[in-house]
Amino acid sequence: MALHLSMGEAHRRIAEYLARFSDAVSSQDGSALKSLIFVSSNSFYLLALADALNVFQDSSRLVNQTDKYSQLGEILIPYFRCLQSIRIGRFVDAYVAFEKAANAFLQEFRNWETGWAMEAMHTVALEIRVLAERADRELASSGKNPEKLQGAGSFLMKVFGALAGKGPKRVGALYVTCQLFKIYFKLGTVHLCRSVIRSIETARIFDFEEFPTRDKVTYMYYTGRLEVFNENFLAADQKLMYALMHCNPRSKDNIRMILKYLIPVKLSIGILPKMELLEKYNLPEYMDVVNALKRGDLRLLRGALRDYEDRFLRSGVYLVLEKLELQVYQRLVKKIYIIQKQKDPSKAHQVKLEVIVKALKWLEMDMDVDEVECIMAILIYKNLIKGYFAHKSKVVVLSKQDPFPRLNGKPVNS
Amino acid sequence: MMNQVGDGGGEPGAASDSNSGLNHVVDVGQGHASLYPSTSGQQSWPSSTGPTVSWNFYRTNSGLTESGTPSSSGYHYGQGEMAGSGNAQGGVNSASHASASTNVVAATATQQYAGYTPYPSATTPYGYSNTQYQSYYYGYQQPDNDSSSQQVGANQNSGAAYQPLSSFQNSAGSYVHPTSYLGTYYNTGDHQTTAGYENSNYNYQTNWWNNGNCGSYPPHLYPSYTSSDTNSTQSSSAVSTNSLPYQQQYNQWTYYYSQSAPVVSCAPRTENTSLTIGCSVEGGSGGYPYPSNQPPPPGTTSWRKDTGSSGLPSLQEKKDVTAYPSNGSGGVGAPTFQNHHINQMPLYFQKPTDSTPLPHENHEDQQKLLYSQSPRLPLSSTNHVPENSQSPFQAIPVSETRRVSKLQIPTNPRIASNLAVGMPKIDKESSTTNAALKPAYISVSVPKPNIKSSSQDDAEAIIKGTFPPSLRAYVERTFSRCKDDAQRSANQKMMKEVITKASADATLFTRNWDIEPLFPLPSTSLDMVEQNNLQSSVPISSLRRRNKSRWEPVAEENLVDKQPSITSDSVNVASWDHFEGTGRAAESKKYESKEGGCNGVRLFSSPQQTLLSKFAQRPVKKPRLGDFPNAIENGDGSSDSDKEQDLTKYYSSAIALANSPEEKRRREHRSRRFEKVQGNQVESKCHGPNIAGPGSIYTRRASAMILAKNLEDGCSRAVEDIDWDALTVKGTCQEIEKRYLRLTSAPDPATVRTEEVLEKALQMVQTSRKGYSYKCDQLKSIRQDLTVQRIRNVLTVKVYETHARLALEAGDLPEFNQCQSQLKRLYAEGIEGCHMEFSAYNLLCAILHSNSKRDLLSSMTRLSNEAKDDEAVKHALAVRSAVSSGNYVQFFRLYKAAPNLNTCLMDLFVEKMRFEAVKCMSKSYRPTVPVAYIARVLRFSRAVSSENCEDKGKDGLVECEEWLRAHGAILTIDNNGELQLDSKVSSSSLYIPEPEAAVAHGDASLAVDDFLTRAL
Repeated sequence: MALHLSMGEAHRRIAEYLARFSDAVSSQDGSALKSLIFVSSNSFYLLALADALNVFQDSSRLVNQTDKYSQLGEILIPYFRCLQSIRIGRFVDAYVAFEKAANAFLQEFRNWETGWAMEAMHTVALEIRVLAERADRELASSGKNPEKLQGAGSFLMKVFGALAGKGPKRVGALYVTCQLFKIYFKLGTVHLCRSVIRSIETARIFDFEEFPTRDKVTYMYYTGRLEVFNENFLAADQKLMYALMHCNPRSKDNIRMILKYLIPVKLSIGILPKMELLEKYNLPEYMDVVNALKRGDLRLLRGALRDYEDRFLRSGVYLVLEKLELQVYQRLVKKIYIIQKQKDPSKAHQVKLEVIVKALKWLEMDMDVDEVECIMAILIYKNLIKGYFAHKSKVVVLSKQDPFPRLNGKPVNS
Repeated sequence: MMNQVGDGGGEPGAASDSNSGLNHVVDVGQGHASLYPSTSGQQSWPSSTGPTVSWNFYRTNSGLTESGTPSSSGYHYGQGEMAGSGNAQGGVNSASHASASTNVVAATATQQYAGYTPYPSATTPYGYSNTQYQSYYYGYQQPDNDSSSQQVGANQNSGAAYQPLSSFQNSAGSYVHPTSYLGTYYNTGDHQTTAGYENSNYNYQTNWWNNGNCGSYPPHLYPSYTSSDTNSTQSSSAVSTNSLPYQQQYNQWTYYYSQSAPVVSCAPRTENTSLTIGCSVEGGSGGYPYPSNQPPPPGTTSWRKDTGSSGLPSLQEKKDVTAYPSNGSGGVGAPTFQNHHINQMPLYFQKPTDSTPLPHENHEDQQKLLYSQSPRLPLSSTNHVPENSQSPFQAIPVSETRRVSKLQIPTNPRIASNLAVGMPKIDKESSTTNAALKPAYISVSVPKPNIKSSSQDDAEAIIKGTFPPSLRAYVERTFSRCKDDAQRSANQKMMKEVITKASADATLFTRNWDIEPLFPLPSTSLDMVEQNNLQSSVPISSLRRRNKSRWEPVAEENLVDKQPSITSDSVNVASWDHFEGTGRAAESKKYESKEGGCNGVRLFSSPQQTLLSKFAQRPVKKPRLGDFPNAIENGDGSSDSDKEQDLTKYYSSAIALANSPEEKRRREHRSRRFEKVQGNQVESKCHGPNIAGPGSIYTRRASAMILAKNLEDGCSRAVEDIDWDALTVKGTCQEIEKRYLRLTSAPDPATVRTEEVLEKALQMVQTSRKGYSYKCDQLKSIRQDLTVQRIRNVLTVKVYETHARLALEAGDLPEFNQCQSQLKRLYAEGIEGCHMEFSAYNLLCAILHSNSKRDLLSSMTRLSNEAKDDEAVKHALAVRSAVSSGNYVQFFRLYKAAPNLNTCLMDLFVEKMRFEAVKCMSKSYRPTVPVAYIARVLRFSRAVSSENCEDKGKDGLVECEEWLRAHGAILTIDNNGELQLDSKVSSSSLYIPEPEAAVAHGDASLAVDDFLTRAL
């Protein structure tokens, strides 16, 4: 296509773009401006512009020719270079150019008193992250140190700084925060989130509810994940539930992402999902886990953890799921208790250790008496079983009232 | 010279106009006009800004002012012709003039001051202004300047110091001025009030001078002369002014003059003597006297070069004359002197900057003048104020006294430094000391101007075009040294050689030109030149450098930036800024505040300051460049510098290896990286390194840094790392045993063991039966030797692994962590080792020591499938599982069966695990738990399965009992005589006892006893 592009046509396209860009700025048309810098939208218009730029190499002269364009030259010239680089697939170059343009844009944005260009600013924040990721992939494939995403992170911190203060631009701060979360989670530098979160959550001047829903959901999703890392299940539950409740029901992917963390959290506090939910959102890895909890099947749980170990490790829920073991033991003892009760209600509250050991053997769990005794002690200790353990007789003596208290939304004592 | 003078004249006129405008404005504000309409404005300036301000104004004013301008202009021309000598004297004179002008101002001299100020506009301007002022005082002042610089003498210090600066700058122009000044001086001396007018004339002249002088002479003179002279003068003048009363000031002026000669000390105190001294000084200054006086040599050289030697003498004579006149006016003049002194202080600062500009071009010179003026202005302002109020001489004295006192105070700090330096100075010493103070100013200005003005045109063009600023500064410096054409041409040749060499070496951009002795090429030639110039240039420069670094950094920068815009007026403004920036401004402000009349000055000062700041900036930078080289030469280097030199020696061999052009380039680039960051630090370092010479890395770095700092061009060189490869030590030591000593300097190859020896040393440690502290010490020294030789191979891994294991066994976690992190890197480089073993350790560390689930998760995620099959890793993972579930049975089983040294890491967790377990048991077991069971489950005995089972079991039982009791458990004995844990009671009484071995700082290995045993 570029080959067929005449110089004149290229010139015309660039000139038109410049005019539109300049008009958008002068008329403070945020959405028009956004569409002009929405690189990853792959709009035909921008693609055509990129082609034109590759044909018409001296675009910076065009920019500098006219006063009203040259004022925006700091943005436009590197932006053009970025477009060109993207078009020819050189994302590192594109990122570098885009960062320049973004910095210039941020400079301008700071000077605009209102947040009319918020959409565009957000687009810049998005683009710089996406471009950085692509640039890092390019760098990694050529054996270099992928560092662009980090650079994008520090740029976004600047943007955040420009937005997070008082004033009309604050509404846009949460979006940038979310982009930052994405970067930090990707880089594994989650600890950097804390400062951003603090400034979002401690600011009294701005009610969290005033942020756009989209941003609130994303924010809650990420902060919920952070709480999962910290095994702070109640807070995680609350945040992830918020995200789930406010998430657009039609965006199934987003819901699935939330559920991936919400389900382990809910399991940890004793709430099991319905199988339909797991099926609907395609979360098969949790099915065995849920079944194990229902049945007290330790083997099933361990099998699920083994089978999906990589996935669970990567998403960071492995350790959470592993802790479900105690609940599985509890379920197992409860089952034995129920069976004993059916046989002889008067002696049901005394569960012999050897019975449990035998039950575990059936599950192909080879554990000796000491170990099982230890686990019973822990179950009692953690209040999953009410009662006591008589060492001499090797018997778990269950309380006659509610021997297996439900978690009911509370995490296991630990 | 003539041309320059002519130009100068033209420029001065403009300058004067602008100044006059300024002055007028000022005047209006101040109301000084009452005394002297035209002058009043000027006076006001001075009053507000102090002498310096007034100076500037004077120049302009003078031009404007009825009185003197015409005559002064004539003088100027004459002076210009006088050229070098005239200027030099003028410079001296100017300084004195400045003071005089201030005095005049005080009297009504403001106008004169204004005229003076114009002078200052260029560095020469000071000289001019000084000369003009001096013309009244001039004789005095000039002498002061010269003498001060030369004498450095305390006398001059206060007043002289300022003047000296001016004188230095002026020196070129000042010489001429002196003549005119002389006339004026006489006049002034006779008629102080008239003097003001005269002064104005003088000022004009000075301005002219400045212009002309600045263009050509000043640079040269300044470089060499200024450095020493100015410094000395400044310091001396400042001192003297401070200490001495008005009379003293007069004396000082005289001193300055006298100072030029040794007499200084004598002269300063006695007015007469001072006058005489002034004469002598002037003679010296005539030497520009420098030649005759110590300062003169450099100055003379420069003067001569610029203006021609012939001209100088006449100027000198004139100066002398002026000095005498000044004596005549002495009574009146005294106040002015004080003012001058004050002015001088600023001037000094400014002057340096100015001096630098001067060398460059007329514009630059003007700028310099302005700079110098600006300082003067503030000073003068203070002076002027009093003066204005007192219009008559008598009045002036009073005001002056006040001013002086005030001024002295402000100046004192500066002076003090100067004085300290300057006091000792006779000629050379004083100059040097003074130079130290002034150096920055002078040196900077001088080198550049010289370069530019002299043959430099060619060189300059080249340099400017493609050479780094530092190199330019170099060239300027070299030229500044040249006293006559012959020297210049020689110098030029030298320069060419050096540059071609450098470019051939590819060191052109890498070299630290600032540090380079006035040109590496010239080493001989340079030396010659230097000799000719007399040490003054070098010492001065060094001094200057120091001064600059301490005092002027800000001002210098400012000056450099603004130089381009140099008009006399603008220059003045710049000087103001400089002053302010340097703290002189602050002083001037103080003066103003102190003096009631200063208000007007303040008003003026603000605009001036803005202008001045622009101009001032450039000069400053230049001075710095010059200073650096000088500093190097001085060898005043601090202890650091000495160290650096040592280091350089160390590295010299290594460097030698990589002296190819490419290498040099790389290094340059690298060093440049650091320049920006370390710029300031570098400066300080540079002094030392300079001594070391071009070859040393340090010098290069320092130079590079300096360059970076100095270079406004912002020639941002690509930053590269230092070529550490080239610096890598190759050990030669054959001793197997070596104690560890943390390096505080570069390693000595003679004490670093070779790789083979290190291997033996490792074996020795492995088979040694000595204790851990010995082994740790040995291993650390092995690690150190490996590190300094940059050996990273299997041996390195072995050493770290050995050390890590030993550390684990000894429970030395800090050391273990060090080794572990090194090992991670080494393994990542693909070096073979016990990777699995250590990733298991890593995992255990993550489990046991960090509360961060994320760390654990990420280490687990990183484990390869292969690693998960490894016995040690499996074990570690199992431990993790046991810990996370609280399964103490599992944990202690794993503890028992731990491979490698996993046990050691688990040891660290045992206590906590046992406590948790007992807590759990005491809560879940009823009614009792047998202690035997606890001891067995929690592995209180080491060997459960061994033959000695019973014994050990019993041992374990006892141990467990003790442990339980220590943790608050309640034990009972049941019917069978078995010890039982009463779980119900114990559940509420358990606690973790304070570890007995705990140390306040938390690291038992740092306990004093342990430390002492280790030390043995």
